[in-house]
Amino acid sequence: MEDLRFVDVFGETGKGRRKHDYGSFVYRYEAEITNVYSLTDKEKLYQIQISDQEKRKRFTFRPGQFVMLELPGIGEAPFSIASSPSRHGDIELCIRAVGTLTNYLSRVQRGAKVGIKGPFGTSFPVDEMFGQNVLLLAGGLGIAPLRSPTMSVLENRSRFQEVDIMYGAKRPSELLFTYLYDMWRKFDINLNITVEESDNQWDGPVGLITELLEARISKADSSFADHTYAIVCGPPVMFKFVCKMLIEADIPMQKIFVSLERRMHCGRGKCCRCNIGSTYTCLKGPVFDYWSVMNLKEAI
Amino acid sequence: MIFKICRKEELPKLFDSLSANHIVGPVRKGTDKEGKPIIAFDIANDFNELELAYPSTKFSPKKFFLPYRETLSSFDMEESDWQEHIDFNIYKPHVFFGMHACDINALNKLDKVLLESVYPSPYYGSKRSNMCIIGMDCEPQPFCFCRSMGTDTALHGFDMFLTALGERYFVEILSATAFNWLKNLNTRDPTEDDHIEYMAAVAKRNEKFTARVDTTDLTKILDMEFQADVWKKWGEKCLSCGACANVCPTCYCYGVEEHVDLDLQGASKIKHLHSCNLIDFAEVAGGHNFRPQSHVRLKYRYYHKHRGFVEAFEESLCVGCGRCGEACLADINVPEVIASVRGEGG
Amino acid sequence: MSEDLVYLGVPLKRPKVAFFELTSCEGCQLQIVNNEATLLDFLSLVEVVNFREAMSERSDDYDIAFVEGSVTRADEVKRLQTIRKNAKMVIALGSCACFGGVNQLRNRFQDQAWVKREVYGDFPIDTEDEVRPLSAVVDIDLEIYGCPIRKEEVEKIVTNLILGKAIDHPKYPVCMECKANENICLFDLGEPCLGPVTRGGCDAWCPNSRMGCWGCRGPAEVANVAQIRKIMRQYGFSEEILLDRLECFGGFTAHIKEFRHC
Repeated sequence: MEDLRFVDVFGETGKGRRKHDYGSFVYRYEAEITNVYSLTDKEKLYQIQISDQEKRKRFTFRPGQFVMLELPGIGEAPFSIASSPSRHGDIELCIRAVGTLTNYLSRVQRGAKVGIKGPFGTSFPVDEMFGQNVLLLAGGLGIAPLRSPTMSVLENRSRFQEVDIMYGAKRPSELLFTYLYDMWRKFDINLNITVEESDNQWDGPVGLITELLEARISKADSSFADHTYAIVCGPPVMFKFVCKMLIEADIPMQKIFVSLERRMHCGRGKCCRCNIGSTYTCLKGPVFDYWSVMNLKEAI
Repeated sequence: MIFKICRKEELPKLFDSLSANHIVGPVRKGTDKEGKPIIAFDIANDFNELELAYPSTKFSPKKFFLPYRETLSSFDMEESDWQEHIDFNIYKPHVFFGMHACDINALNKLDKVLLESVYPSPYYGSKRSNMCIIGMDCEPQPFCFCRSMGTDTALHGFDMFLTALGERYFVEILSATAFNWLKNLNTRDPTEDDHIEYMAAVAKRNEKFTARVDTTDLTKILDMEFQADVWKKWGEKCLSCGACANVCPTCYCYGVEEHVDLDLQGASKIKHLHSCNLIDFAEVAGGHNFRPQSHVRLKYRYYHKHRGFVEAFEESLCVGCGRCGEACLADINVPEVIASVRGEGG
Repeated sequence: MSEDLVYLGVPLKRPKVAFFELTSCEGCQLQIVNNEATLLDFLSLVEVVNFREAMSERSDDYDIAFVEGSVTRADEVKRLQTIRKNAKMVIALGSCACFGGVNQLRNRFQDQAWVKREVYGDFPIDTEDEVRPLSAVVDIDLEIYGCPIRKEEVEKIVTNLILGKAIDHPKYPVCMECKANENICLFDLGEPCLGPVTRGGCDAWCPNSRMGCWGCRGPAEVANVAQIRKIMRQYGFSEEILLDRLECFGGFTAHIKEFRHC
């Protein structure tokens, strides 16, 4: 009788025979919700801390990457990290309550245990932008994935030329991170915010983000386009028009970066939900340069 | 590669010597309305259960390495704390007896995305690591177009491969494991005559292929014909039922169901193989559907198989087994779909 | 008895539920009490205040009303309206409640007086001219399909309701689960089957036992009825056989109208 040797890919018998790094697929950090801030009626900012102190320190990510957040039995979904990479495993996620997971999450108390997998995906190449102008553009909830590269840029402010943040929301009440604007402005940046519908307290511009961008481009000098990178986060309709305008302003496609994240399901290039052709948004993305986006059918 | 010759009656001995493991092979499941036997891969307890001369199976053997449903993990809930338990759902080595070249090649292709990629899947990997494959030559069926896909022969991905030459087998041995099996069998080295006979058998088999797919420049053609009306014609027929994906040896798309036990003390994550043809598949949180039309979903299945995978791995994800066309009640099959996209035929 | 439920530290309300039946065989409710293995867990998840088949106490104070059966009599219209008024959530339980079920076969007859005479003879009862699903009378919050319903599915739905999870019925056809069970296709065995157009979620209950699907769960989200018509013809089944199945539970009423025009 020939009883073949059972190979336990993780266990003792598998030692030395393990060809693949399976850990990355199933490894999950145990983490704790340390604080929850209501930003608007729908969005909350969750401060989440990887429980193990050593693992928390070792946890590194790049701006634009995402984690999978899991509540057992409720769901698992990808979220862009909204905090600075310098904060390591003390991450912040800005989440709108829209589905089963996010609604349940909004009911969970401080101190609750959640699962975190990741970080996954591509990132905004902030290092590549050193010495250049940076346009950070966000529409609506797009400010969440934009926050991490924004923090990176601000923490290294002296390494960049001009920095602009342009942010558009539907109404003043839907603006996120309002408490940070004054702090951001101290870093010598141009922060411009617009809303589509004003209310009686709003004294800023009313209109679309493209109007802010148009104003910015019109006052730029002739060398601007050659020395500028743009990061665009927002709903498809927003980045379609914003990217078009950036290209018309001669900013090269490969210097325009967008984050496409809402299709992702498993986050590990296995389930095919986010496939466009065979491009897994979760592996080749969520951050793409505009040239790659153009080659993805039905991406926008 | 090491070649041997053994007599057919040696094979039961090999089966018996391996029977401490799970042996999976083609076994008879029933008879169709025309009286033809229906064969499927399943656990065989006796050599005589195996129908080694089987023409093809309705289903691929994938339930043994990509189960249709699989519990990925379970949780014990304690107030707001919880513990996760992960099980890869394999406890014994499996020996596959009589796998055809198409199914062996399907595993090789799946390995590329599920093992040799950024996040190798331990669920698949642990089943693959506990798998031995004894391949078997086959008789091309009218729906087989593996020859067009370059998957009509298996060059690797098996331990042993058998080609029938009259009353004996021409045996290819590819692993040390399989070489060790030889001690249980009476074999001899092949002679020049055996080589000639083997090559004649292969040539004879090659003549029997009737279905074909022209893959020349297919990736480009699929891109060019992305908006073509011909997709709508197939979309009109499509039942959006997922039968094609379920019988396919390489369809691996899945969805995850989150389950909470009735007593709220436990939970589990259950993976279900899915199909990109299902309307449920392209739906995201909030209810938006990226591909609400049947023809768009059908098109993406072809895109993934014949364009996207080629772009990523220099080969198609389709092995040309023709099972999808056989399973499709609406008669949608790869050779006809590709031909129509290329502007050939009706 | 009404201690609060907790999941992941979130307190959850234990709902009061009631079961009612209109014109039906009560088989769906029987399914609920049938599975003793999980009955106690089910009862700790909800507080049952009204369930004729299982208890004698009655109360009109309930959050969720499960209503089995179709509406065939005037008094049932009134009863259903009262249930709707009392309940925060009304759930149609089973094919009769969702589509009219087997009862709605009566609608096929043009002469309803003849039907009554044939069926009830000298003991006529006061029935309406048309058998209707619940949704034709009151607003329904959720439908649970099947003849009968599957207890596992009801349990899952109730758990998810308590957790506030979205209730997602499968939109795909029965074929998907049938193939996942590696059943031999009934068409290959010479049997007609509505699996390709009927909503899944039943785990291919009938085809697993080599019985062709009769469409009790109603149409799948994409129900390609034009194609199943061709398939039936191709496999040698008459239009009559197809219509018998499509009409059996009432789920395909709209589709049948559509193809009677062609």
